[in-house]
Amino acid sequence: MQSIATSLIASFTSPMHIGTTAQALLFIVPLIAAISVVYKATKLESMATKNFIKESASLFGSIFVFILITAIVLLVFTFLVTQ
Amino acid sequence: MAKSSKEANWPFLISVGLLSWFVPGGGYFLLKEKKRAWIILITISLLFIAGLYVGSIGVVDKVSIADKPWIISKLSWYTAQIIVSPVVMMIGSVTASGQYQVYGKPEEIGQIYTGIAGLLNFLCIINAVYLAYVGVERSGK
Repeated sequence: MQSIATSLIASFTSPMHIGTTAQALLFIVPLIAAISVVYKATKLESMATKNFIKESASLFGSIFVFILITAIVLLVFTFLVTQ
Repeated sequence: MAKSSKEANWPFLISVGLLSWFVPGGGYFLLKEKKRAWIILITISLLFIAGLYVGSIGVVDKVSIADKPWIISKLSWYTAQIIVSPVVMMIGSVTASGQYQVYGKPEEIGQIYTGIAGLLNFLCIINAVYLAYVGVERSGK
């Protein structure tokens, strides 16, 4: 039990290894999810589970699609500039 | 029509604000909005803990801003992080020794996660105090 607690605490004292790769961009997903959930938790009048999940998912999708479009535009722009 | 400042229950508003700061979503517990409070508590705590896991506790860095101009130090990640909870200041004093240095992507992602967690809690503090002020009752029990 103590060794589990020690290794758990120790995992917070050394950083993860994250390379500069395309996969590193996926770290944005939990961030968008947290923003969507907290924002909708503060804004919705009714906290009915179904409605809350629907609204949060909708906001998550909107932010994700917008970021995706921005990334594509930047990629195309970079491609055109470097050609 | 909004209430005048004379009608505001200042001790209650301050209690809601302070509790929201001490425990993310805590103000909503006082407003009897338990569902909302639990969602906010769990989400903000998970985001903050994820940030600490990714970048280690070294991302809570109050030392690197100590010699910066006042305005820059106030706009730092550390300021955003301590909005999550005063407990973050305890982590800051642990990392002040410089023993937990972190650089590169883990630092970047860890600071963004923990900083955004603080800013989201700031939104919740303002919203909870506003709800306490207008006395709006919502159906999130």
